Amino acid sequence: MLILGIDCSTDILGLALMDSNQLKGEYNLSLKRQHSEKLLPLMEQIFELLEIKAADLDGVAVAIGPGSFTGLRIGITTAKMLGRIFSIPVKGIPTLEVIAAGSNGDYILPLLDARRERVYYSFYQRNENKKGLFLKEINKAASAAISELPEILSEYKSEEITIIGEMKAEVQQILEQEGFLVKQSAAENNFTRAAVLARLGQDYINSGQEDDIYQLNPIYLKKPQAEINWQQKYGSN
Amino acid sequence: MAVINMGVEKLNYNARIKKENEDIYILALESSCDETAASVNKNGLEVLANVVSSQVDLHKKFGGVVPEIASRKHLELLLPVIDQALEKAGIGFEDLDAVASTYGPGLVGGLLVTLTAAKTISLALDIPLIGVNHIAGHIYANFIDNPDIKKPLLCLTISGGHTDLLFFENLRGYQILGRTIDDAAGEAFDKISRFIGLGYPGGPAIEKAAQTGDREAIDFPRADLGESYDFSFSGLKTSVMNYVNNEEQRGNEININDLAASFQEAVVDSLASNLIKAAKEYEVKSVVLSGGVAANQRLREVIAERLKEHSLDLYYPPLELCTDNAAMIGAVAYYQYLDHDFAPLSISADPSLKL
Repeated sequence: MLILGIDCSTDILGLALMDSNQLKGEYNLSLKRQHSEKLLPLMEQIFELLEIKAADLDGVAVAIGPGSFTGLRIGITTAKMLGRIFSIPVKGIPTLEVIAAGSNGDYILPLLDARRERVYYSFYQRNENKKGLFLKEINKAASAAISELPEILSEYKSEEITIIGEMKAEVQQILEQEGFLVKQSAAENNFTRAAVLARLGQDYINSGQEDDIYQLNPIYLKKPQAEINWQQKYGSN
Repeated sequence: MAVINMGVEKLNYNARIKKENEDIYILALESSCDETAASVNKNGLEVLANVVSSQVDLHKKFGGVVPEIASRKHLELLLPVIDQALEKAGIGFEDLDAVASTYGPGLVGGLLVTLTAAKTISLALDIPLIGVNHIAGHIYANFIDNPDIKKPLLCLTISGGHTDLLFFENLRGYQILGRTIDDAAGEAFDKISRFIGLGYPGGPAIEKAAQTGDREAIDFPRADLGESYDFSFSGLKTSVMNYVNNEEQRGNEININDLAASFQEAVVDSLASNLIKAAKEYEVKSVVLSGGVAANQRLREVIAERLKEHSLDLYYPPLELCTDNAAMIGAVAYYQYLDHDFAPLSISADPSLKL
């Protein structure tokens, strides 16, 4: 089963091809703001290098956020079209889940910079029953001030928490101050890895979990600024 | 043999590039503003399907199109409009000879949705990708409706973002004679409409108010650019605002309908005068209006009147082709196809693309 993973949610453009649990190829390229120009050419290139055609795909996994609004739309549009043209399953996977799944440890806190001392975070426990195939989501993706994290995670003070992603130094400092046990992940795991995304997609699709491409949308976690301004001015309607 | 395409035009598509005497089917996509649209065109001007999903109501409370809101909506509407277009045309993806999308001008977030979709379709089906200029699209909307239009012809394209005067020897290309040096005509309508409290979109609002107004009530200035075929509306805009401010200061009540009618007349007069001047010099056989502002009845009236003296045919697209749509994009794409004017997969959206 040939699965393509597509990730344009962060600065790292990710593309990977997983064929029945074997990684065929993977790009993780730090291409800030070039996703719209580079995604399709890189996709064409990796297909040609691996001697496969788009028609050979059996499924698509796409990172659905949070992250760059523009990047998310580019990735999801591409995934939707492939799903529609070839009638293959598409699975949208939260970006924080992709980051977390690339980490070791039993309790994982993936983080993305949400600016102004805030982070996008989620909280996962490695699910022993499924032998690490799926992570159990304890906290759904949300945005919070770094200073709020000790309170949010208060139940898990006795566990070793692996933090992975952006803003690690700041988060580690604040958690350790409150007496948490914190471990950092290594640099080569510390981002959204396309191979992890493709593998997750493969596992979800194999277990019958796919998305309706007509309902597949980004996890924006943030209303458009104009909407926020309007509500501040006029109150929610 | 595999060709790595990183910004270099690729011409060895698996789908054979067809010749002019064959039937060429193109799926065209458009999302540069607040309309998500898809069409299927056969040989350019023949429209097998034209599906448009408009978001005007979504943006009304903000007084203008909000790019982020529009972009989110384009993503949601993308597949439904494509599905409907293919269904209406009675064809499948496998029947397409090429895929086209607007790549500019417009709002970059929106443009990227259909442009990315078109790139994906191109790669998936190995058919040529065609990037189309949205303004050219509005012009070719006229040719869809009038395929036997007499050439050479002049085209005045007037919208929220553009005001251009073009000369066409035939449908394969054009020469720009003049353009606005500041505000576009449609932009002037939107700004004045909002300024005098008539809301958005400005064109229809001002036109409606003008219907019961006296267009000679106030004599607003028409820009004088000498020999040039260029246009200018920011002076007019300032003049209207000064008039309103002065009247308010004096405590006079302003008749909005008269104001709208007089402002509209000044815009129409400027546009028509330049057009007629060019029509005489270039000895054209037809004149075409395009762009959102071409829907303005007073503009059509005045131009038709002045052209009658020169026994020239005036064309403007039917209302459903004046607003954004994909059929017009597919029409332009056809002529680009014949010229093998294909885009690489690395093509970017260009929000300020010009003709």
